[in-house]
Amino acid sequence: MRIGAMLGDISRSLFKRPVTERYPFERKATPERLRGQLTFDPAKCTGCKICVRDCPAHGIEIMVVDKVAKRFVMRFHTDRCTYCAQCVVSCKFDALGMSHEQWELAALSKEAFFVSFGREEDIQALLTQVTCTPGVAPVGPVAPATT
Amino acid sequence: MDTQQEPRKTFVVPIGPQHPALKEPGHFEITVDGEIVTAATVRLGYVHRGIEKGVEQQNWTQAMYMLERICGICSHVHATAYALGVEALAGVQAPPRAQAIRVLVAELERVHSHLLWLGVAAHEGGFDTLFMYSWRDREMIMDVLEGLTGNRVNYSCNVLGGVKFDVDDTHADAIRRAIDFLEPRTHHYLKVVTTDETLIGRTRNVGTMTSLEAETLGTVGPTARASGVPRDIRVDAPYAAYPDFPVKTITATAGDLEAKFVVRIQELFESYRVIREILDKLPAGDLAVRMKPRIPPGETVSRVEAPRGELFYFLKSAGGLNPDRVKVRTPSLCNWGSVLATAPGHKLADVPMLIAGIDPCFSCNDRLVTVRRRSTAETWTWAKLRQYGIEYYR
Repeated sequence: MRIGAMLGDISRSLFKRPVTERYPFERKATPERLRGQLTFDPAKCTGCKICVRDCPAHGIEIMVVDKVAKRFVMRFHTDRCTYCAQCVVSCKFDALGMSHEQWELAALSKEAFFVSFGREEDIQALLTQVTCTPGVAPVGPVAPATT
Repeated sequence: MDTQQEPRKTFVVPIGPQHPALKEPGHFEITVDGEIVTAATVRLGYVHRGIEKGVEQQNWTQAMYMLERICGICSHVHATAYALGVEALAGVQAPPRAQAIRVLVAELERVHSHLLWLGVAAHEGGFDTLFMYSWRDREMIMDVLEGLTGNRVNYSCNVLGGVKFDVDDTHADAIRRAIDFLEPRTHHYLKVVTTDETLIGRTRNVGTMTSLEAETLGTVGPTARASGVPRDIRVDAPYAAYPDFPVKTITATAGDLEAKFVVRIQELFESYRVIREILDKLPAGDLAVRMKPRIPPGETVSRVEAPRGELFYFLKSAGGLNPDRVKVRTPSLCNWGSVLATAPGHKLADVPMLIAGIDPCFSCNDRLVTVRRRSTAETWTWAKLRQYGIEYYR
C-alpha cells in the first residue's frame, strides 16, 4: 500500500499542454461519418416516402409536386431529428444523406429548425397552400387515443 | 429515579429524489444509529418515461431508436437486444460481418462504460484525480466511436437485419491505436485501485457480499462476478458473434468494493483482446439483410450482456407493423437488493460508494406497475399515460 499512487501522473501533466479543446476558437475536423444535417437530392427521389414512415422522430415531410418531373419538396425539422440516419439507410435511391460539415445547428429562433429542400417556386407555392407556417411546426404526432 | 430505559431512538436520513450527490433521481431512506447504518430502503420511479408503452405506437424500425434511448451509456446493447429479438421473430439472421461489428461496438461501449464507472466510483470515494484521468482516457474511445459510427452517444449502429456501418482499415487502425494507448493506462489504474491507501480505505472490506448472498439477491453482471458468481450472458448463452469470438468470465472472490473495481478493470483487458481479435478476423460479407415491415406473430426473449449485467427483452408480435408488447428489464434493477442488504453495519459515508458500486442507472430501470383489480381493470393508451405523467408531477 502506498499514498499518492497518482502523483506521478499529476507531475507529468504539469509539463503537458491541456487536453481541453478550445472550441469554438479552434475547430477540429469532424469525422467523415458524423451525422449532421440531412441533405436531399430531388433528382433521385421517387416519392415513395419510406423515409417518412421509418423516421422515429417524425422529422421528415415529403410533398410530391410532380412525380414525373421529379419535383419534390422535402421539409426537414432539425430540432426533431435524432440524427440516427435510419432514413438514409431506408432510402433505396440514395436521395438522402447526412452532412458531416453542417453540424452546428443550434439557433435562437424556431424558424432556423425548419429546412426545406426542392425548387424555390415549389417551396413557396406549398408554403402558401399548407396551413402550417414555417417555424410553427404542427404538434408532434401523438398516437390517436383508441379508447 | 427512573430506571426504565427509554427505547433507543433511530434517525432516518432521507436522500433524494433531488439531491446534490445524486446524478439521477432516486429516493433512499437510510436509518442510522449515530454514524452506523441500520437499515436502508430505496424508492425508484421518478424518471419513468413510458418507453415500453411508447414503442407499441411505433413501427418495428422506429421502436429501436426509442429503445436505444433507454440508456445513454449502454445504448448499443439495447438496440442489439431488440434487433436480435426482432430478427429471431422474423426468422432472419444478420450476416456474420454485421454480427461481428455489433460485438465490436458492444465491446467498445463496454470499455467506455467501465472507464466512466471507474471515474464516477473514484469521484464518490473522493479520489478526483483518478476520476479526471480515467475520463480523459475515455475520450479516446468516444472519439473512436464517433469516427466509426458518426455519434458519440447514441451510435445507432444497428438496423433490423444488420448494421449500418462497415469497419474499414482507417477505422480499424484508429481503434487499434486507441486500445494500444488504453491498455498500459488500464494496467496503471489496476495498480492504483489495488495499492493506493486512500482508495483502499474506502473500498477494501466495504459492502462485502458472499457468493451465496449474490445468488440469493439475484445480482447480475460485474456485481455478481465480484462475489465469485460466474454469470455472463456472453458465455452462458452466446449471441451475435460471441460464439466465434468467445470471452472469458472474469470473477473475483472478495465480494467487496475493491473486487468490483478489479473485476471491471480486468474485464477491460478481456474487451481489448476481443476487439483486437475481431479487427484481425472480421468476416467478409454483407452488412445487412432486408427485412419486411411486418413481423410474423410470436413471442421471443432476447438476452444480452450489458456493461452492468444481463439485459432482458421480451418481444411479442401480433403480426402487424407495430410491436404488441416490449418488456425491458435492465441490469440495475436486479442489483438494488445488494446495496440495501450490504449497507447495514457501514458508516453513512460509505453509502454513496455502495450505491456507485453497482453502477446504477436510475432512469433505465424505472418501469410502471399498475395493480389491476378485476373490477377497475382498464387499458391505458399512450396519450393517457402521458397525461398521467403530467398530472403526477403537477
